[in-house]
Amino acid sequence: MKENSDILAKLLPFDRRKIDECIPITRMGSGEIGGKAHGLLSIQDFLKTVADECDFEEISVCIPRMIVLTTEIFDLFMERNALYEIAFSDSTDTRIADAFNKGTFPNEYIGDIMALAESMHTPIAVRSSSRLEDALYRPFAGVYGTKMVPNNQFSSTERFHCLIDAIKFVFASTYFREAKAYVKNTEETIQQEKMAVILQEVVGNRYGERFYPELSGVARSHNFYAMNWVRPKDGVIDLALGLGKTVVDGEATWSYCPNMPHISPPFNTVSDMLKHTQLNFWAVNMGKPPEYDPINEAEYLVHPDLTIAEQDGTLRYTASTYNHQSGRITPGISEKGPRILNFAPILQYEQIPINELMKRLLSKCEAFTGNPVEIEFAVALDPEEGIPARVGFLQIRPIVVDDTEIAIEGDIEGSPNVLLASDSALGNGIIDTIEHIIYVKPDKFEWKHTWQIASELEKLNERVLRERRNSILIGFGRWGTTDEWRGIPVHVGQISTARVIVEATLPGMTVDPSQGSHFFHNITSFRVLYFSVPHSDPLRPINWDWLEQQPIVQETEFARLVKSTAPLTTTVDGRTRQGVIRYG
Amino acid sequence: MATKAFNAFEMAQTQFDHTADQLSLDQATRDLLRFPLREYTISIPVRMDNGSFHVFRGFRVQHNDARGPGKGGIRFHPMETLDTVRALSMWMTWKCGVVDIPLGGSKGGVICDPHNLSMREQEQICRGWIRQIAGEVGPLQDVPAPDVMTNAQHMLWMLDEYETITRKKYPGMITGKPVGMGGSLGRTEATGFGVIFTVREALREMNIKPANTTASVQGFGNVAQYAIRLYNQLGGKVVAVAYWDQKDQIARTVRKSEGVNLDELLGITDRFGGIEKDKATGLGYEILDGEAWIEQEVDILIPAAMENQITAENVGRISKKVKLIAEGANGPTTPEADKVIAERGIFVLPDLLANAGGVTCSYFEQVQCNMNYFWEKDEVLGKLDVKMTSAYLGVSELARKRKLYMRDAAYVISVSRVAQACHDRGWV
Repeated sequence: MKENSDILAKLLPFDRRKIDECIPITRMGSGEIGGKAHGLLSIQDFLKTVADECDFEEISVCIPRMIVLTTEIFDLFMERNALYEIAFSDSTDTRIADAFNKGTFPNEYIGDIMALAESMHTPIAVRSSSRLEDALYRPFAGVYGTKMVPNNQFSSTERFHCLIDAIKFVFASTYFREAKAYVKNTEETIQQEKMAVILQEVVGNRYGERFYPELSGVARSHNFYAMNWVRPKDGVIDLALGLGKTVVDGEATWSYCPNMPHISPPFNTVSDMLKHTQLNFWAVNMGKPPEYDPINEAEYLVHPDLTIAEQDGTLRYTASTYNHQSGRITPGISEKGPRILNFAPILQYEQIPINELMKRLLSKCEAFTGNPVEIEFAVALDPEEGIPARVGFLQIRPIVVDDTEIAIEGDIEGSPNVLLASDSALGNGIIDTIEHIIYVKPDKFEWKHTWQIASELEKLNERVLRERRNSILIGFGRWGTTDEWRGIPVHVGQISTARVIVEATLPGMTVDPSQGSHFFHNITSFRVLYFSVPHSDPLRPINWDWLEQQPIVQETEFARLVKSTAPLTTTVDGRTRQGVIRYG
Repeated sequence: MATKAFNAFEMAQTQFDHTADQLSLDQATRDLLRFPLREYTISIPVRMDNGSFHVFRGFRVQHNDARGPGKGGIRFHPMETLDTVRALSMWMTWKCGVVDIPLGGSKGGVICDPHNLSMREQEQICRGWIRQIAGEVGPLQDVPAPDVMTNAQHMLWMLDEYETITRKKYPGMITGKPVGMGGSLGRTEATGFGVIFTVREALREMNIKPANTTASVQGFGNVAQYAIRLYNQLGGKVVAVAYWDQKDQIARTVRKSEGVNLDELLGITDRFGGIEKDKATGLGYEILDGEAWIEQEVDILIPAAMENQITAENVGRISKKVKLIAEGANGPTTPEADKVIAERGIFVLPDLLANAGGVTCSYFEQVQCNMNYFWEKDEVLGKLDVKMTSAYLGVSELARKRKLYMRDAAYVISVSRVAQACHDRGWV
């Protein structure tokens, strides 16, 4: 990528007198622009070339118009409102957000924000663009706050308030518990962190009281979860209807290989598919104003189900229909029956060549940056004809991939002293210093308790943290999901000591693994080793008996922290995807 | 500072005549706008702390209220004259017009020197002023505000007296009240910030970065202090500040070529903006005479003290380096000096535009009071910035299109708005 100075030099200052000229990227302030903005800016010119080369007549690709509030504004806000004390304290997220919300915005820039609110009337995404993200060349996806504002109020003053509150919220999220814990995992400190903020036009269309893109997704040129005949370098794309929050939060999406778009994810039955594909979508609430709650990230969002999408007419290119009499799934929604969001009209019938476009973008962006990449995008289709379509290029991030060759010695299946093993392990490396194991008790686990389990895990994690040790973490379902019925909704900070994470299932569970959620991506960037151990087909099942024999350090209702007498050895071979944890 | 005999009202009328000619106003409109609609001269008897009585003379002049209730400050000044108040009320009309707020122009004053009055005596003057004039001011008629040597406390006494007389609560009767007592957040900063909002826009049009500029400021009261604050925040460097030394009754200038430190100076400043000379010397400031501010080698001059400060006598001392003059005070430049400045091609931000931030925020305060709902500071300053910028752009565009001097463009916009209101009402 280009050098910082080159990139910043071409970033024009925001000028309210030129608002109508729709300059694609401008900045307020003279500080740093953070990782997200840097990534987009560095690829801006290249993207124009690529979009031209790709030559999809009916699809345009662009970075949605955005204004970057540089870290100078963040610094001024922090200093003038004397917020560092509470920011670095152990105060709750709510208290921090409240203190920030009461702060006064730097007066040098307040007029520009007011002018912006006066001139814009469509939804705006207020997104974080952190300094460390840039400095560490590391993804911080979903760690900091993002807030969407409808920006459609009649009064410009109301629009201004929403915008200012949202900016303050994103500033505050720099110091939320999850963010602090995440930074703790890096070689940097929270004191070094600074936040730039991106105000970006939301790509989408308005349908009644909702505004959302017909498609959003994350495309990766490297697939951490490549299975069967799919190679990691084939990449993976997660698609969702509505705002990308569905993907970022690790909710159910349609995950597929861009080289084989017609192949479905591995659902056991149609019933599984009906249950575990996307059932709700996120949209910006353009209707009745919600109750005032400036410290709620989803204040202006709604999460309706697919019947609402069908009323909006947005399932036309995204859904298929299940015919229970024939047992067949038919692309489109011309027939009656349950809808399945499998994007078949686009992926199988190629009614709109989005997949082909994303393939080319991935390949070219990877070549441009010299690294595997992750691209976040949103697509606004023509509400009537599907095309012309507009692809908003929202973010580009590096993917951390470790290529060191690791070999697993000996036969796993017949080997003694194996705690567990998997042939779908991720990561690459050997860790032989961990003695602490935090695990969810299999006999106590129930979906309805997953929030409590998350909270208990945090306590056990704190215990390990106090001892300045690392841990192996074993639990059930998808780690880090926000859907409590699919896994344990922890955030990175609650399991910050985990250097090995095991995602297991119990009989009766049909949950698919994390599927490259942002949570997972963040975890792997810290070189955490990951094991998927399904109860049905393990290389070696989890040795619960051995675990129960280990000395208990601390126990809660649903989880246990034990310490083995000798360190365990965890080995993962990233090439074969085999992994094993041995004791003794 | 300059002490030459000077009639502010004559100057205001001269400026108006010039604009009326440019607009080809009819004679009736000229006759109406050349003089105030109403003038009140009052006597305020006060029992002094030593038991004696003193009768203070006070004024209220309502120049024009065609566009809305009158708006203007109350000055306490020993040299106050009716003509000065007349001039200032007329300038208020133009000021409200140029920033396009629905208010007319007024001004008031009392001949007194608060430096020599106790707080109780000042309170009696405030209450006496209201008792004499209560029927002629109010939220729907004429809304006073602080001005030279009056402050939020004076406004609160006046409001209290007014509400006692009317037996009702009228927080919108007066502006500049303390925050929490009907005052608006951001009011303190408003005038000074407003000056710099226009400076910022002017520099932008001149393709000059604020960080590459230096300035010299006359005055160290509220307007100057906040102007310096925002100018510094934008990266600019103030190298000289002129102030009035109350003790020695003389104007002085403090200078530091590497840039004055605002907070440092505020630490050695009295409530009237006087800087302690010896302490300033100790902090490494040069102490120069009061006129030295005008001859500094700077890019920007900001007269933010009194009227009649840049005159035919001292205009020649302005450095060739000066590119911009932002009039933070009312009427700081005499017409003779103005001609010289125009000939030299120095870009002028005229008083009625540059220092309109105060009245604009007063308008915001009145709006908030009338609905008894108060805004956050972000909102006040955001709206102020937008309003001031918009006013600047309007004036600058007209100046460019019609090749007018900035002061003339500001007057043309403002006078035409007021004249139109008078025509629409059928007054002339």
